[in-house]
Amino acid sequence: MTVRRRPDRNEVLSIALVAAGLIAVVLIPFVVTDRYLLRIFTLVGINLILVTGLCLLFGYTGQVSLGHAAFAGLGAYGSAYLLLAGWPWLVAVACGVALASVGGLLLAMPSLRLKGHYLAMATLGFGEIMFVFFDNAEWFTGGSDGLQGIPPASLGGLTVTTPEGNFWLVWAFASAALLLVGNVVRLRPGRALRAIHGSEMGASACGIDTVRLKIQVFVISAGLAGLAGALSASYIGSLSPSSFTLHRSVVYLTMVALGGPGSLAGSAVATVLLTLLPFADAVIPGITTSAAATLQDWEPDIYGLVLILVMLLMPRGISGVLSSAARRIGLGGSAPERPVGEASTP
Amino acid sequence: MPLDAAGLLQFVIAGLKNGAIYALVALGFTIVYAATNVINFAQGEFYMLGGMLGVFYFKALGLPLALVVPASVLTTACIGVLVEILFIRPRKDAEPMPLIIITVGVSMLLASLSRHVFGSDELPLPFFSEGGSFSVGGAAIERQTLWIWGLTLVAVVALTFLYGRTRLGLAMRATMANREAARLMGIDTAWIVMLSFGMAALLGALAGVAVTPLTQTRFDIGTGIAIKGFAAAVLGGLGSPLAAVAGGLVLGLVESLSIALLSSSVQGSSIYKDAIAIAVLLLVLFLRPQGLFRRASREKA
Repeated sequence: MTVRRRPDRNEVLSIALVAAGLIAVVLIPFVVTDRYLLRIFTLVGINLILVTGLCLLFGYTGQVSLGHAAFAGLGAYGSAYLLLAGWPWLVAVACGVALASVGGLLLAMPSLRLKGHYLAMATLGFGEIMFVFFDNAEWFTGGSDGLQGIPPASLGGLTVTTPEGNFWLVWAFASAALLLVGNVVRLRPGRALRAIHGSEMGASACGIDTVRLKIQVFVISAGLAGLAGALSASYIGSLSPSSFTLHRSVVYLTMVALGGPGSLAGSAVATVLLTLLPFADAVIPGITTSAAATLQDWEPDIYGLVLILVMLLMPRGISGVLSSAARRIGLGGSAPERPVGEASTP
Repeated sequence: MPLDAAGLLQFVIAGLKNGAIYALVALGFTIVYAATNVINFAQGEFYMLGGMLGVFYFKALGLPLALVVPASVLTTACIGVLVEILFIRPRKDAEPMPLIIITVGVSMLLASLSRHVFGSDELPLPFFSEGGSFSVGGAAIERQTLWIWGLTLVAVVALTFLYGRTRLGLAMRATMANREAARLMGIDTAWIVMLSFGMAALLGALAGVAVTPLTQTRFDIGTGIAIKGFAAAVLGGLGSPLAAVAGGLVLGLVESLSIALLSSSVQGSSIYKDAIAIAVLLLVLFLRPQGLFRRASREKA
């Protein structure tokens, strides 16, 4: 049908939400004067880039990856290596992203023909191999000491050194990632992905080239993980293999699971919540130092328990909770509360 | 350094020792997979808990070694059953994927809890029996290696008896073949699933406690052994328990002999030894996802 619809209430609300988000991103550095807090929000943005890609893969397509920390590592070490060799920032970051994407492609081509649980184990194995590599390949990664003195971001002679500048830079990329993935899932490919999530055989019977599509999605998500890694390398200025462990991969997976399947908005909220968890001392006013330290000490337990409980008690994640809450207060079916992936196909 | 016959034999012995460990862990993967279609990512934590609880019973409670092994193995089996009751059973739809993700969470939880309980140090356990190593054909076999082989053999024989000669084993095999049909025939499949987790935990813990005198143990060793055990299980095709044992031994030998080859040719290559099992895993997944042994002859013909 080619009848042009009037934008309905859902779309208006989505646009309003996006606009509000953008304004918030622009304004936050003016409002938040605490440097430490701004740094944390920047880390949230970096995680959000990775989780956005993982949400496309896991949240929408139902493919489990336990190796996304390794793709972040490829992007981080790749870009840092080139930056230390004096390459321009944007080129180095692009090469880092390309490296992660190629890694994703090489892993995806054989593994995505496999059943889902084999993919999970193959990505886990890949992640572990890459960790051994990061930890030992001194010529490339500096071995277990990692890399130091990675130059900060610079665009056309303008070096980004202030916390505000880094915040805006990271969130500009995060917004672009959200926009990219948002468009992918809203349009035709998104419907195909949800079909794969529902039933791969059914999707392929409808003429969807499921393997090809899954590979494309995997490469996009690996590339976004690489982008997150590359941004963190030049933002933090140093790298160590311990940032790219299985533990991190599980944390990212937990963020998507907590967000709920097929919901970018849910994943975004979950990313904010779970990234802030280890920084409780800065975020929760009046929390005692020892309480914050305890929280930090028990962080892996909390992540593990969250992952279990979400799968057991709220399989629709935050997005499910939000949308049922929205229905209760009479906003039934309005866009922002409703998971993106739930929108009925027009 | 060039390898002589005795040197090669030494690598074969090491390979079969590690292979027996991988076999026990692979059995755990296979048993749970057969009953539930779930790959239990927490399988490596059962191995870790076996060693950890062994150290705990020996050091903190002062139990004699002869009791340490059964105590730690049975405690871990109870933990396995508890994991099933608390985290697997409540998810009624029994779709594999959410359950697999749950086991990923369980793995993280168990490893981290055990760090809180037992600390983050490497913990040792004494050898099960005193005395030096035996010499066979110029190669040395440690007594603990004999214990590992012996315990693995006992476990395999017991499993074979269970599956082949008992009504319970028959019910387990029926559940493996077709869970729904087994349930309709009056088999309590929920009980079988619970038992499978208990047995998987028991076998993992047995491997963990038997190897601790040689390697020491730590809260975070679960993932590494899980990958190797899973690689062995996939080599065996994730179906028959005996094939899982064979997969474990093959993986141990491949790993050990590649190290032998690499260390005699490439300098400093031993740091990548953990990568060998993963490479084997990825290769098998990509080239022969049905395992090494299944349908091999028919395809050759």
